[in-house]
Amino acid sequence: MMQRTAISVLGQRAPHPLRKAGPAAAVRSLYIHVPFCAHKCHYCDFYSLVDTQDRQEAFVSRLCSELEALSEATGAPGLETIFIGGGTPSLLGVPLWRRLLSELERRFDLWAMRPGGGGEFTVECNPESVTRELLDVLVAGGVSRVSMGAQSFNRRHLATLERRHDPAEVSRAIDAARAVGIRRQSIDLISSIPGQTVSELREDLSAAVGLGTSHLSCYTLTYEPRTAMTARLERGEFARADEETEIEMFEVTLGAMRAAGLERYEVSNFARPGQECRHNLAYWRQEEWLAAGPSASGHVAGHRWKNVPRLDDYLAGAGLPEVVDHEPPDARRALAERIMTGLRLAEGLAWEWVRGRAAEVCGAASAARLDRVAGAAMEREQATIVGGRLRLTDAGFLLADTIAADLMRALRA
Amino acid sequence: MPFDRRRIRNFSIVAHVDHGKSTLADRLLQATNAVSAREAKEQILDSMDIERERGITIKASAVTVFHRHKPGAKADELELDYEAPVDEAGHHRVAKGTAAEHGELYMLNFIDTPGHVDFNYEVSRALKACEGAILVVDATQGVQAQTVVNAYLAINENLVIVPVVNKIDLPSARPEEVAMELEQVLGIDATSCIYVSAKTGQGIPELLAAICDQFPPPREPKITQTRALIFDAQYDDHRGVIVYFRLFEGSLRVGDRIRMIGTGRTFNVTDIFKYTPKPQRVLDEHGKPAPVGPGETGALVAAIRTLADVRVGDTITLDTDPATEPLPGYQPPRQMVFCDFYPATGEEGEQSTSFEELREAIGKLSLNDSSFTFQPVHSDALGFGFRCGFLGLLHMDIIQERLEREGGVEVVQTAPTVSYEVQVRGDKPDLHKEGGGQKSIEIVRVENGNAVLEVHNPADLPNPSNIIEIREPICRVDIMLPKGDIGPIMKLCLDRRGVYKQQTFVSEARDMLSFDLPLAEIIYDFYDKLKGMTAGYGTMDYEVTGYKADDLVKMDILVNGDPVEALSVIVHRSKAEQRGRALIARLKEQIPKHQFEIPLQAAIGSRVIARETIKAFRKNVLAKCYGGDVSRKRKLLEKQKEGKKRMKAVGSVNIPQEAFMAVLDQGE
Repeated sequence: MMQRTAISVLGQRAPHPLRKAGPAAAVRSLYIHVPFCAHKCHYCDFYSLVDTQDRQEAFVSRLCSELEALSEATGAPGLETIFIGGGTPSLLGVPLWRRLLSELERRFDLWAMRPGGGGEFTVECNPESVTRELLDVLVAGGVSRVSMGAQSFNRRHLATLERRHDPAEVSRAIDAARAVGIRRQSIDLISSIPGQTVSELREDLSAAVGLGTSHLSCYTLTYEPRTAMTARLERGEFARADEETEIEMFEVTLGAMRAAGLERYEVSNFARPGQECRHNLAYWRQEEWLAAGPSASGHVAGHRWKNVPRLDDYLAGAGLPEVVDHEPPDARRALAERIMTGLRLAEGLAWEWVRGRAAEVCGAASAARLDRVAGAAMEREQATIVGGRLRLTDAGFLLADTIAADLMRALRA
Repeated sequence: MPFDRRRIRNFSIVAHVDHGKSTLADRLLQATNAVSAREAKEQILDSMDIERERGITIKASAVTVFHRHKPGAKADELELDYEAPVDEAGHHRVAKGTAAEHGELYMLNFIDTPGHVDFNYEVSRALKACEGAILVVDATQGVQAQTVVNAYLAINENLVIVPVVNKIDLPSARPEEVAMELEQVLGIDATSCIYVSAKTGQGIPELLAAICDQFPPPREPKITQTRALIFDAQYDDHRGVIVYFRLFEGSLRVGDRIRMIGTGRTFNVTDIFKYTPKPQRVLDEHGKPAPVGPGETGALVAAIRTLADVRVGDTITLDTDPATEPLPGYQPPRQMVFCDFYPATGEEGEQSTSFEELREAIGKLSLNDSSFTFQPVHSDALGFGFRCGFLGLLHMDIIQERLEREGGVEVVQTAPTVSYEVQVRGDKPDLHKEGGGQKSIEIVRVENGNAVLEVHNPADLPNPSNIIEIREPICRVDIMLPKGDIGPIMKLCLDRRGVYKQQTFVSEARDMLSFDLPLAEIIYDFYDKLKGMTAGYGTMDYEVTGYKADDLVKMDILVNGDPVEALSVIVHRSKAEQRGRALIARLKEQIPKHQFEIPLQAAIGSRVIARETIKAFRKNVLAKCYGGDVSRKRKLLEKQKEGKKRMKAVGSVNIPQEAFMAVLDQGE
């Protein structure tokens, strides 16, 4: 029996976006948010709770109910990418993992996730919580990729970020994942940590490369609003890296990755050819995905929505959870989002398509405005058009937001 | 029957700003029962929002009230003490009691005047409609610069002055000392001062008695024809122009065909009324329109569509039996401060306000303020806009604010400059710009075969090789200040190329300094500096006294290699480098980083005297953008430039409004 869960707007009950979206034949991806952390890292603005035991079981039960409802609402589609993020998914107890993975198996077509099936199933892990027992369960459930939150290999900078693991644990966790047959591993690094020098970043990069992984994400530290890191910055506990340093680190990262045979395929993401994260590419290419868990965001048939963010609210429901921030389909918004995320990719934007779509949705003048912005960027050697795609140059990537904002403004009537 | 001329009193209240003029006016209205105590809480004479917000009076208004006075009495009964003497139609009928009991009935017309130095011109024309002036001085602050200037304006109009020391209820009041200051500085007998608290009402009976007793009645008519002086005019959306007049001879009534002697234009009077302070039609006891007689003031409506059709200071006469000689009075207002208004640039360099919208807003505003001038200009860097002239800096601020508030336009304003006289070789100089187009300059006269041009835009300066000399407006500046601050203020004036004139004793604590200073040196921050250096106690007033030649040069500012006319400035050669460096440094702070380097240069002719570079910004990219982030990040990017300042695109550089004002930085 399908759950009739709905969101409430001004006292009226509105149907879940998936009910409006109609048959979701194009859905190939699923994101699951696990909101538990052993400790809240100071820079992180993802939804998480320092609550390792009490509600894990209730959460997994609730999640299974949601997965069942998602599956029914969308006709149990075949999934090609799954990403379980958080929070710290690796904190979930092993029995709960078993339950979750078997529920996935039951509710969705995971044919692509079998060995050699071409699917991608990623679980985010913190090095200190990776155990052999957990890895065995993950592999058995079809997990083919782990994303390891290393952030830095320098104890002092890990302390600044309030990360609790020992740098050596990263290598141990990667080796353990390899040993059980998880062939794809990714490492997360952070640059421009307060006090970090360029040569310390080089050390981090070479340590990461030295682990032999095929994928690396290296983010410039972002001071998100309402995080402890931002509060400490505002209190003057440390100075943020200046623009020149951030630029140099951005460039040093690119150089080190290329030297190691990893290409930039997104602003902050590097991979050996073919090893790009397909799940994230689905986001950036504006494909469709389902979302499960508190605060997770979905995108189907032009609808964007976010699950109710608080764990207690999430646990209180059943089936499809309450939804917040529902954005119905809007052609102009969709195009703006495609420009914004597409420009962040090395593959760039199919320019003729974008121009044509802009003319169709926003009027002929907008295509001319787009050309003007793109022309100016090309004149400044920030972008090129190669094979009909507008792509940022290395210098252009530094200004991706400025160029995206200019292009997005061109869509306005 | 017109009101008995001998019992009419026309007067103004003049004071330094904040000395309590408006409160006193309100108290008089209340004491004569024209308004209730509740209404009097508000300063009812000021009607424009901006006036109330800024606490200043911009437009003069005339109010008529009635009062009973026994000739010779030193203090009067207040009408509010007995019975409302004005009925609902505004007629002053004899109320309870008789003339013997309560005194004779007087008509008091008082004319509110603006208090700020910029509006001295409006003060003096209002004073022409009066026989007397109440000079108000704050009992705690004493005589201030505007007190002196306003007193002299009244003395020059041969008005009788009743000195009032106000705010005597304040604990720090020192009324006797302040009365002595009036005697020291203005030669007004200290014993003639009336001590008043407009707040508590103390002294009001004495002041009303003095108004009736000391101010003379309007003079006798000299001719039989009608003559009325226009002392103010306001524009009303529904009624057209409202003309405030003071009748000297003859009469005016609804239905009269009037003629303006100065302009020769004629109109039919459709309504005559007085502000009591509510507008009341002038009617007889049968409710029919009644004539206004000699000595009275009033306001008329005559289907006059724009203020441009009315010249304040002009004389109204009757078309059927016109007077030939106008009343003395008309002096055109003189604009001393000039700046350009351009439509502000919106996103992507598009105009957020169009030139046409700006033209319409300026045209509409000129309907109710005829004392600013405007003409279209075109600047290579800034496009089409208007060059506007103002009475002073405050006037300029008010116009800009009203344009935006009432006209709904967004403007970028260039730094104000003064009006220069430039003597050039020959009597037929070339007034065309290099790239074509007429410069906004005119030949004011020819001296010894050489033309003298009026230039109020540095961009319009003729080729330097043709210039014989540049003359700038000089003002006499009177500064009232604590004795302890004389040293620093002397230095400030001398640094600003001032010439010391005299020092006058005011009291044990204060002196008055008089300097001749170039207007260009005081138009921006001089007053703020004076306030800062005297802990707020110093006050100043100025009057333009003439033009003087000096070693003045035009300094150009180049942004990204291109000269920006709106940033060029005429400076004294000895101060050019200092000003240039300060200006460039300010511009560097205020022009935001672009995606390319922007060189900034200050130059005299082809010689660069200061330079700076604004570095390019090179990084603007969010590190992360995940599925759940897309909406939020999109909104972030869309907002990225919305919070930006008001800009003007000059070539490929966006210059914020503030940068245009950087020109005014003196580099001290």
